[in-house]
Amino acid sequence: MLAVTINGARQQFPAGTTILAAAQQLGLEIPTLCHDDRLQPNGACRLCVVEVAGWNRFATACSTELTDGMEIRTASPAVEDARRTMLRLLAADYPPAACEEAPEKPLHRWFREYQISPSGDGARPCFRDAAHPYLHVDMAQCINCSRCVRICDEVQGQFVWRAWNRGAETRILPNAAACLTESDCVSCGACADTCPTGAIQDVSERVHGAAEQWTRTTCPYCGTGCEMLVGTRADRIVQVRPALDAPVNKGHLCVKGRYAFEFTHSPERVTEPMIREGEKWRAVSWTEAVIFVASRLTAILEKHGPQSIGMLGSARGTNEENYVAQKFARLVLGTNNIDCCARVCHAPTAAAMKHMLGTGAATNSFDDIEQAGGFLICGCNPTEAHPIVGARIKQAVRRGAALIVIDPRETELAQMAAVHLALRPGTNVPLLNALAHVIVEEGLADPVALQERVRDFAPFREFIREWTPERAATICGVDPARIRAAARLYAEARPTMAFHGLGMTEHVQGTEGVMALVNLALLTGNFGKPGAGVNPLRGQNNVQGSAHMGCEPGHLTGFVPIETARDAFATAWGGALSQKPGLNLMQMMDAAGRSELKALWAIGYDVAFTNPGTLQTHAALEMIELVIVQDLFFNELAHKFGHVILPAASPFEKDGTFMNSERRVQRVRRAVAPPGAALPDWKIVGDVARAMGFGSAFKYTSAEEIWDEVRQVWKAGAGMSYARLDRQGLQWPCPDETHPGTTILHTDSFPGSKTAPLVCLDYKASLDTTCAEFPFMLTTGRSLYQFNAGTMTMRTPNRELRATDTLDLSPADGAQLDLREGDTVSVRSRQGSVLLPLHLDPRVKRGEAFATFHAREIGINHLIGAGRDREVMTPEYKVVAVCIEKHEGGAVP
Amino acid sequence: MNPAPAIARPPGPRFEAGAEVESFYHLVGCDLSRRRCEGTACFVAQNALGGAPVLPAPGEPRIACLGRCFEAPVIGLDRARPRIEVQAREGVVLSRLARGLDAGLAAYQSAGGGTALAQALRGQPSAVIEAVIASELRGRGGAAFPTGRKWSAVAAAPTPDTRWIVANADEGDAGAYIDRFILEGDPHALIEGLTLAAFAVGASRGIIYLRHEYPYAQQVLEQALAEARAAGWLGGSIRGRDFAFEIEVFVGHGSYICGEETALLHSLAGQRPEPTIRPPYAASRGYLGRPTLVSNVETFATVPWIVERGGEAYRALGFSQSRGTKALSLNSLFVRPGLYEVEFGLPLRRIVEELGGGLRSGSLKGVIVGGPLAGIVPPHLLDTPLGFEELHAIGAAVGHGGVIAFDHSTSIAALVHHVLSFGASESCGKCTPCRLGTRRLEEIFARAAGLAEGPGTTRAEVEELIAVLRQASLCGHGVGLGDFAASALRYFGKELDACWP
Repeated sequence: MLAVTINGARQQFPAGTTILAAAQQLGLEIPTLCHDDRLQPNGACRLCVVEVAGWNRFATACSTELTDGMEIRTASPAVEDARRTMLRLLAADYPPAACEEAPEKPLHRWFREYQISPSGDGARPCFRDAAHPYLHVDMAQCINCSRCVRICDEVQGQFVWRAWNRGAETRILPNAAACLTESDCVSCGACADTCPTGAIQDVSERVHGAAEQWTRTTCPYCGTGCEMLVGTRADRIVQVRPALDAPVNKGHLCVKGRYAFEFTHSPERVTEPMIREGEKWRAVSWTEAVIFVASRLTAILEKHGPQSIGMLGSARGTNEENYVAQKFARLVLGTNNIDCCARVCHAPTAAAMKHMLGTGAATNSFDDIEQAGGFLICGCNPTEAHPIVGARIKQAVRRGAALIVIDPRETELAQMAAVHLALRPGTNVPLLNALAHVIVEEGLADPVALQERVRDFAPFREFIREWTPERAATICGVDPARIRAAARLYAEARPTMAFHGLGMTEHVQGTEGVMALVNLALLTGNFGKPGAGVNPLRGQNNVQGSAHMGCEPGHLTGFVPIETARDAFATAWGGALSQKPGLNLMQMMDAAGRSELKALWAIGYDVAFTNPGTLQTHAALEMIELVIVQDLFFNELAHKFGHVILPAASPFEKDGTFMNSERRVQRVRRAVAPPGAALPDWKIVGDVARAMGFGSAFKYTSAEEIWDEVRQVWKAGAGMSYARLDRQGLQWPCPDETHPGTTILHTDSFPGSKTAPLVCLDYKASLDTTCAEFPFMLTTGRSLYQFNAGTMTMRTPNRELRATDTLDLSPADGAQLDLREGDTVSVRSRQGSVLLPLHLDPRVKRGEAFATFHAREIGINHLIGAGRDREVMTPEYKVVAVCIEKHEGGAVP
Repeated sequence: MNPAPAIARPPGPRFEAGAEVESFYHLVGCDLSRRRCEGTACFVAQNALGGAPVLPAPGEPRIACLGRCFEAPVIGLDRARPRIEVQAREGVVLSRLARGLDAGLAAYQSAGGGTALAQALRGQPSAVIEAVIASELRGRGGAAFPTGRKWSAVAAAPTPDTRWIVANADEGDAGAYIDRFILEGDPHALIEGLTLAAFAVGASRGIIYLRHEYPYAQQVLEQALAEARAAGWLGGSIRGRDFAFEIEVFVGHGSYICGEETALLHSLAGQRPEPTIRPPYAASRGYLGRPTLVSNVETFATVPWIVERGGEAYRALGFSQSRGTKALSLNSLFVRPGLYEVEFGLPLRRIVEELGGGLRSGSLKGVIVGGPLAGIVPPHLLDTPLGFEELHAIGAAVGHGGVIAFDHSTSIAALVHHVLSFGASESCGKCTPCRLGTRRLEEIFARAAGLAEGPGTTRAEVEELIAVLRQASLCGHGVGLGDFAASALRYFGKELDACWP
């Protein structure tokens, strides 16, 4: 500890504390303009100067660390004079109106406090940009603090804001572009968040006014689990800002989390329950809706039995709601036909990792990114699909971490990668086997790990000998030298952290692919330690949680196999659980097609739009007698097949918890009231349960009560009380209230075993292959600006940033097909066909194509074939042979 | 299939920068052959000639200075040499130039050059550092930091690959042309000094950061480096020892601030050359994040003498805390302008009156020693001895060693305006006092000097601005400009008081 004197008072601080941090801890406010805790100290504005005894000049509090015996005066007359002089210099060229428009901006506040009136005449030529849907730029208010430049460089890693010229002529401009929308800007809004003036400002703040109240909650989009502050004014969201102390996002958000909240206030929200009457919908009371649902379900149960009803939980819903949904299915309906959208994304990951490591979830934490020596990025595109993870990886790579990317496309991370393995879609298993081959053959494996923590090495060594890079190259289309380089880098950059996404799982061999990846981590000892592991990037805010809460036919809350936990849950819930295996989502669709599924209750899940083979899916849904849709909007399922729609509250309108990709449970808090009669999902399900005679098992009055019940049945979650979660999110296992949570799994052993097995994985190719008729291999995926079914993002100004889906094709293939940018193309697969605009994209290899899947008017899932993962039935969205032709009939209808 | 990519790119100087970084500089691609120099020596010489002040044409880059102060005012470049004399017991850095030797390696060797390196290579690197410590040499670029301490720090800093040696040949201080003539006339002294430094601290790469305004020096340096390589004085195994060192030349694009160490290193890396707060110091995290030894040309050129003759021999020269010799460059208003190597401790009066021979144009009004970032010495303080602490005590500095005398044809308001205007145009713009304070002072002194119309101000506002520049600026640029204006107010307050309404 250092002993220092601040403003005459003796204080003690740990070494490394800056004067500014020390003053903040003492509640002394030192004015700053260029400082932001998210950035390296810059010492540019000089407003934070203080007097230090014995120094012949002032010290900047932001950048000067305390030394023992230091005597500091933070507001001596000389210091205050200097601050006043500097503010006066800034004020001479500052527009007075800006202070009135946004009085709470730091600069405006300091002007007020030092009684300085700006007197700029606005004559200084500077950059203005009012064309961006979210960011308003008026550089007449720029004071050269460079926070926008630095946050874009140091946090987002985008390098958009650049300083031109020098001295008083310095101007900040977006890189090589006349406006932000033409620059490399990814609309993360970090610059607006840090700007201490109104130079870069959120449009929403200008339109709706400053927030009156802030509510801390967790982002409703991807599985990263960013925490944010939702600013509201008159029960309306006016601004979202990142939580500065959030462990995952550390004061950063992406365009979706920060800006795509307008869907909450969309006029298209369903605000009252409705029942279909022929072609029309009739608004009804909750009482009528609940009685309708309960009586119809009861009738179907009586006539067709519990196996005839399926229920889908929602990855957008809270843990509490998913728990209630699966409890309803198992207890009230008496069926295990309960699933969620993990089926179409990471079910293979859960199966593969549970099988090999004993836990079907990420082994490490996002905080390991800064400790990793290298990254293996497999089949995921974090800078678009998980932008905060992507930004953190980019910064780590900038600091020197090694980067290997396995992806058919040259994604942003692939462009930065030391080695990019641009494999053919669907060939993960042979490629990963070849990496294992090099690691074993070149002696790069970790002998300690092999001896102490890994079993079955001998048969694996025999098996993998055949998987030479040359053999894999013929299947994957990747240069064997690159495979060797990647294997060496993965092994030598230890600790190396693997991240994977749906490019790994949405395959016929999805589960095997993840197992092949786990093999690499086991061989190299990349598990159970910081900066290592196998880490699925979960696609939706709570897809980890919805399956983990039991929206999975074969597993109960805590992802325990139903066979082992059935009795315990029967006791806890006070009712028997069905002995029959439940149907998963794909089996439900199959059953529907055979007229065996009579009712489907889909909570926040538009299966009509998102399931593969849209025409086949629709034919199956057509057969279902009762489709209950519980959603924010009239989605495709409601429009085409719904019999009743139950209006649900959005994540901004309810309390609960989400579970992110790294097993972290975080609070969701209500910031605004739901519109009209909309209710949280758990209340709706509970009301129906009561109407069906199960009131005593569903008598919850708050999300916390549900959670407390979850904690009783799920031992590894028992320690995560709301009281603790209200302070900070916790990662399971967290078995009791003194347990700090678990950031890294498998440090000493795997559940039930000291060792984990290596698995020999033969390659069985996907069935969908290219041929003369279908010469291109299509993969689908997510874009930065849109999210999954588009239900939310398509109802926000994100539409202005990306209006629709495109078919991305290499320019060379485009030229060969005589296609131009923007042409409407007809894309046909063995399954169906769609029309969509063409985008020529050099990141796509020849012979391949890429399309996003967000736009309802396009419906790319018409093309997806019937291939399914052999273990868990996840559809093969990533391997679709198609033909591409110019569509002569004009634009997409 | 593409061939396997290289996994790591070896570090090396990045001599290209983005367009936005280029826009920072004012001499990108600029041909200097017909440009009027607007340095301070040319300014005071122009005043002495009389007539209206010569102002730069709008939109033209501002040139200051071309290193021809001994023949000011000047237009364009010229290779004429000034008078060069050693006026010390020992000639350390100017002796070969004073003898009129050419810049070739043969001439350097015939004058004993290379002896120090040969001697050093027979011993341990630590012996070189010990000699430099014993000499009590302090940096000659203006900051006067003890050179031996810097070398020890770089030698002790851990690095995963190499350490770097950077010669700061960005001699931007108006009035100084010392480094220019060492570079053009005695390049092997610099090269030997750099090589000794590399050997001492364990560096394998060196860069000479040369200002754009010295194109002849670039030619001479490239030729000298080629000669040194051919002779085995640079390259893989220097003089047969297991010691490799290579030097490259980087030519700046026009920016005074690049003489500041951190700005210079950013400039080399292709980044915007704004000074950054220290720590980290270059000695631990400099060029490309590696330990880097940055010193100016004269400092490096002094080292071979110290290594050859011993630190004590050097320390025996000079006085007080300023040991050894210093090269000074005298401007054209002196009767005998030119380069003089003197020992520290010599009173300024002897420099002005005996070496310079007094002023040719009229009576002395003041002397600017050490460049525009220091104070003016008024005639009544000429008995102050040349020394870092001694000059500091009267609000002046040894600085780079430029000595600009001016006469009564130069008004103080116009002189302060001239310096502040230069300072504002060279401010990087990062910190508030320097970006806006120098600009505001420039405006005030333009009005005070009758160069611009507009409302006047009070001495209180001027003092406030000066105080904030001196107390709160990020780097020496703002501080030094404040020091200059403060010294004008201190010694010429009466003349200036007439300027405030």
